[in-house]
Amino acid sequence: MPTITIDGSKYQIDGDQNLLTACLSLGLNVPYFCWHPAMGSVGACRQCAVIEYKDSGDQHGRLIMSCMTPVKNGGIYSVNSETAKDFRGSVIEDLMTNHPHDCPVCEEGGECHLQDMTEMSGHTMRRYQGTKRTYRNQYLGPFINHEMNRCITCYRCIRFYHDYAGGEDLQALGRNHQVFFGRNQEGMLENGFSGNLVEVCPTGVFTDKTFSQHFVRKWDLQTAPSVCEHCAVGCNTAPGARESGSQQNPLLRRVVNFYHHDINGYFLCDRGRFGYEYVNSKSRIDKVLSAREDAVISSTADEDERLHKDIPPKEAVLALADKLAQAQRGNHRLIGIGSPRASLENNFALQQFVGCENFFSGINKRDTQLLQLINTIQCDKRIHSPTTPEIEDADLVLILGEDIYNTAPRISLAVRQAARNRQKQQAESLRIPLWQDASVRQLEGESSPIIFIGAELNQLSDVTSKTLFVRPEKTALIGEAIANYVSSAEDNKNRLDPDSSQQAEHIAQLLATAKNPVIISGTGSKDIHLIHSAAEIAISLSEKKETAISLYLCCGEANSLGVTQFFSGECGYLEKLITELREDKGENDKTLIILENNLFRRLSSEDLHVLFASVEHIILLDTLLNETAKHADLIFPVSATAESQGTFVNNTGLAQRFYTVYEGTGFIQESWRWLSDAAVYCKERTETIEAISNWSHCPDVTEALAESVPSLSVIKQLGPDENFRIEGLKVARQSARYSGRTAIHAEEHVSEAPPPQDPDAPMSFSMEGIHNPNRTSLQANIWSPGWNSNQSIFKFQQEVGGERRGGASGMTIQRKETPLSRRPSAPNITDPAKSASPGLQTLPIYRMFGSEELSNQSMTLSTVIDNPFFTLNEVDAKRADLDHGDFVALDATCGIFHGRAFISGTQPAGSIGVPFGLPGLEGLAAELPGWANLLQVEKNATTEQESQS
Amino acid sequence: MLTNPLTKNIGQDNVAADINRYMDNDGYRGWRKAHSMAPDDIIELVKDGGLRGRGGAGFNTGLKWSFVPRGEDSPKQKYVICNADEMEPGAFKDRLLMERDPHLLIEGMAITAYAIGASQAYIFIRGEYHLAASRLEQAIVEAKQQKMLGTNIFDSSFSLDIYVHRSAGNYICGEETALLNALEGKRAIPRAKPPFPQVSGLWGKPTVVNNVETLCNIPHLVNLGVEWYKNLGLGEDAGSKIFGVSGKVKNPGAWELPMGTPIREIIEKHAGGMKDGLQLKGLLPGGGSTDFLSTDHLDLPMDYDVIGKAGSRMGTGTITVLDDKTCPVGLVLNLTQFFARESCGWCTPCRDGLPWAVKILERIESGNGSTEDLELLKEQCERIAPGHTFCALAPGAAEPIQSALVLFEQDFINHVTMGACPYHSISTTTPLTKHP
Repeated sequence: MPTITIDGSKYQIDGDQNLLTACLSLGLNVPYFCWHPAMGSVGACRQCAVIEYKDSGDQHGRLIMSCMTPVKNGGIYSVNSETAKDFRGSVIEDLMTNHPHDCPVCEEGGECHLQDMTEMSGHTMRRYQGTKRTYRNQYLGPFINHEMNRCITCYRCIRFYHDYAGGEDLQALGRNHQVFFGRNQEGMLENGFSGNLVEVCPTGVFTDKTFSQHFVRKWDLQTAPSVCEHCAVGCNTAPGARESGSQQNPLLRRVVNFYHHDINGYFLCDRGRFGYEYVNSKSRIDKVLSAREDAVISSTADEDERLHKDIPPKEAVLALADKLAQAQRGNHRLIGIGSPRASLENNFALQQFVGCENFFSGINKRDTQLLQLINTIQCDKRIHSPTTPEIEDADLVLILGEDIYNTAPRISLAVRQAARNRQKQQAESLRIPLWQDASVRQLEGESSPIIFIGAELNQLSDVTSKTLFVRPEKTALIGEAIANYVSSAEDNKNRLDPDSSQQAEHIAQLLATAKNPVIISGTGSKDIHLIHSAAEIAISLSEKKETAISLYLCCGEANSLGVTQFFSGECGYLEKLITELREDKGENDKTLIILENNLFRRLSSEDLHVLFASVEHIILLDTLLNETAKHADLIFPVSATAESQGTFVNNTGLAQRFYTVYEGTGFIQESWRWLSDAAVYCKERTETIEAISNWSHCPDVTEALAESVPSLSVIKQLGPDENFRIEGLKVARQSARYSGRTAIHAEEHVSEAPPPQDPDAPMSFSMEGIHNPNRTSLQANIWSPGWNSNQSIFKFQQEVGGERRGGASGMTIQRKETPLSRRPSAPNITDPAKSASPGLQTLPIYRMFGSEELSNQSMTLSTVIDNPFFTLNEVDAKRADLDHGDFVALDATCGIFHGRAFISGTQPAGSIGVPFGLPGLEGLAAELPGWANLLQVEKNATTEQESQS
Repeated sequence: MLTNPLTKNIGQDNVAADINRYMDNDGYRGWRKAHSMAPDDIIELVKDGGLRGRGGAGFNTGLKWSFVPRGEDSPKQKYVICNADEMEPGAFKDRLLMERDPHLLIEGMAITAYAIGASQAYIFIRGEYHLAASRLEQAIVEAKQQKMLGTNIFDSSFSLDIYVHRSAGNYICGEETALLNALEGKRAIPRAKPPFPQVSGLWGKPTVVNNVETLCNIPHLVNLGVEWYKNLGLGEDAGSKIFGVSGKVKNPGAWELPMGTPIREIIEKHAGGMKDGLQLKGLLPGGGSTDFLSTDHLDLPMDYDVIGKAGSRMGTGTITVLDDKTCPVGLVLNLTQFFARESCGWCTPCRDGLPWAVKILERIESGNGSTEDLELLKEQCERIAPGHTFCALAPGAAEPIQSALVLFEQDFINHVTMGACPYHSISTTTPLTKHP
């Protein structure tokens, strides 16, 4: 390890880094702008200048940019030399010639890196007398505000947006002191990672428009570690909430990235960042609702649909307790339907409440099969579930049937980095350090192989070396052929056309020579053979290479893999319940308790009809009003992720705990608390119900669950219980500078109300407590003296870009190692023309905005969701006499759906892409893939005009 | 002995020497000779000849070439690029060479390409040089017809294509790595080094970028040899050079003279001395980004290191003279406006420091300056010292300012104390009268 001297002190440091990183890792304060821990150095801003001395006799030294200087053994440097300090001050002075003094009205104020660096560099007196350069700002869509006058031209925005995330529509335009970062013309930023600009920009050029609608300063937000609920990657977030004077209850105001070394690093996707607003939406349930029994004179509601009124919570709890008591007496059946978007704790509570035999996962049969298979695959020791940095390091990525940009967005960002690994290898051979970002990026090296086989791939086309757009069943066959080629098995090769077979052989060769291949697949295609073939490839490779092979399997929803742990084998799925109900003789009355689940996204209308018709009472516990809610007799308002504590299991089997950021509005509480309340009021108690009634802290539920489900036993170690203290203190959710707590409700009363107590976690809803994230992983307010922005995260990492010192979140669940048995080979491809169901195959396609249930109800995000559409390729369109944009009717077994027809160059022949879960098309979700016909309803007005002219 | 290898085909008429005239006058003999040599020997020869880059930096050309990876393992594709983006204020030497004797450049590029093993070459030419660009294009057609370019030249396996690329116009494109970015269609900002272009240049392939005049030196150096070439120079540096003079002299222009020709001889003999009634007050020896020299330096020979030791740079070798009736503050302001405008915007001290310097100079020139402004201006120059900025543009821009502040200090002080420009009739900040 090289030893260096900085301002007279000797340090031992890791040799492969630049001096700036080394200084920051040592905890020294060196100001910077253009350098970014994930994006490296480019030497543009000149802010990190320090002095380098030739030797100990050198009195003057040389001014160098620390970010561009590799540390060398024996190097002597000075951060605090007057020359260096003067120069750094002069850089700020230069930047400030144009920067407006609008901090009081700037939303970056209080977490502005430019403010911090200005303070640190000591520039105070303005000597520049000229006018300031001004710009005209652009409309960049509903998420991001643009205020170019604040720009200090550090180039971080385009380095992230263009270089790192692959966005094409934000550019550096113009030159000299008039460089403009914007688009060719106004319009929404196209890249789904645009929200990171808010955090990457060192000042207030790019700010969060959704936050702006209910803005408060960073120091006035209370926060806690959370886990994003909008997909199964499990990105760590730090939601921020604060009450307002007029509105008693706290409001969730924004979501920012919370560094996790193995998952999200420094970046979130836009669904994760802007999806939070569903919590504050109009469809939010915050009262207990009961179906109205009074006659409704006129209603637009369909048959079976109820209209609701709010009732006192106790009334509802007593009603639920009554059903529970009846069930205990044996003359009533309680049926529970869990959810892959609810926490382990809530699912467990319902399972205990209704009894294991009456508990269903809330997932349909097809998805259950997929998830059980994924669970089994991940139990095979030849398979390794890779972390995000491991995917970034891959020298080959093979993606089978998963449009990761839309189903696991953060992973697609990692794949994009993997595409540069050949370039990085070339840099290494030229002895260019990898942190020399501009140097590495200018190297021409063909990109690492990124291969995609599947129906649709978004946003990665510029980095893929090979793409085969085929239907899932063919993807499975090609996958199987690849596995066979890898293991040199002969069977099945002749089941593919020669061209595909040749492609498979070529891919197999590439896989065999790759050092760190990563295979990615998942539930997206809804095809079990496809997932299986991905596993076969990994296992064949593993046997060849005698090491575990990285296979990342996307599971869909935030807790899909978690809820799968409650069942062994393919059981607990919804159709099983339907079958039971069909066979039921109707001896007992039945109450259906639905936990945080919209069954209309999971079951066919026919099955739903049976379900709702077979039960006497329907009780729903959920956050948002949805189709299912319309059928419920009783609705309990439950807390959203940011309002509760719980555990999710992500795609890789990592169980992560999220904590209550703020207490929900109205009567909102966790689902398990409603169930526990009902148990309290139930007089006839079994041991289990007794236990449920005794739960008063979330860790009580977590521990009971850990005892009950062996694979989840680790979850009780995920964090300290509510009694934990550091030096007698809880962890503070509010910053030390949290303001106005005695004034915020002054129009009502001048006395300060006691802060709410958190029964679940050792955290306070106040500013009292531990603030230092180095001391606990529970502190999500990333702040350090002099470092008010999120840049301060390095103060809480073991080294720049390393693990958080307070501890990483999450533990891998302990599943029993079992080798995967070889499945029967994938079926032959069905020819749509010869298929029993005539028409085209409907395939699920995904959208970052539109496919996920909760974020669809977020106010801002919902404005950018596409209207219903279907994609098909040109040949099929011609056959059906359809033009791009035609208004069409999709005639599927489950009904007729309307939307526009979009001609796509990549949609496989014989198939229609149907956006999964898109508002208006949710009813189709359960039946994808399926068969349907497209009928033209109305010609696209513009094409009609064109053809006429 | 041939003493004017660069201009021997250039006559009084503004026409390009066509290939017949060029070949009749020993043209393409260097290329033929080079083609019979081993590439490594050519590199050695150019290195030994002591040819230094005529673009301004004065780096040994052969040495530059020698950094290109050679041999079996090296990348197959390599590039030669002629930097014809002549935008240095006061420089017009490359234009003369390209407009009047385009084949000399083409021959030089052919030899260079052969020496480093490049099959593709580009002439990155300043957009405003449309006459030169079209003459070069014509010359390339002629050279192809004569099989001096194209496939299987001289019936060997060596092939070479030369393309003329017209620049969209940006001073920074004269910086070789910014030039590469511009040629690739990217923003014209300098690249981080390493890697150097010789290792990873255009499209990531080994690339040599040489100035027009440098490349024009190659054919005769190869043809007539190291001894002849070295003897051309009067002093330390080898070869001849196009020296130019602009400003208020009797006969502004450009002349091919031996390296080491004294400044006085260039100004007084070739440029005919100052116009009547004007006194020489100072001079920029090699373009707008070089430090002023005073009349004390007139007897210095124009050699790279001599001019360097005197506190300035040889630069392009095109001298700009300042007379006693022109305001030095106005001159410096004009230059600084140019450099501020031409900053690529990449690094802070250049991007934001130069416009500030312009504002200060405007104040001084318009009589609104203060003594603090003089201090601030000096400080601005120190901020953009070499190493403080990403490339050499801003340090170059500082050179005329910092030297003017010393040499013409009294002029600056007079502006401040008088509250007006003493040379007001020539003030650059006087708004132009708008014609109806």
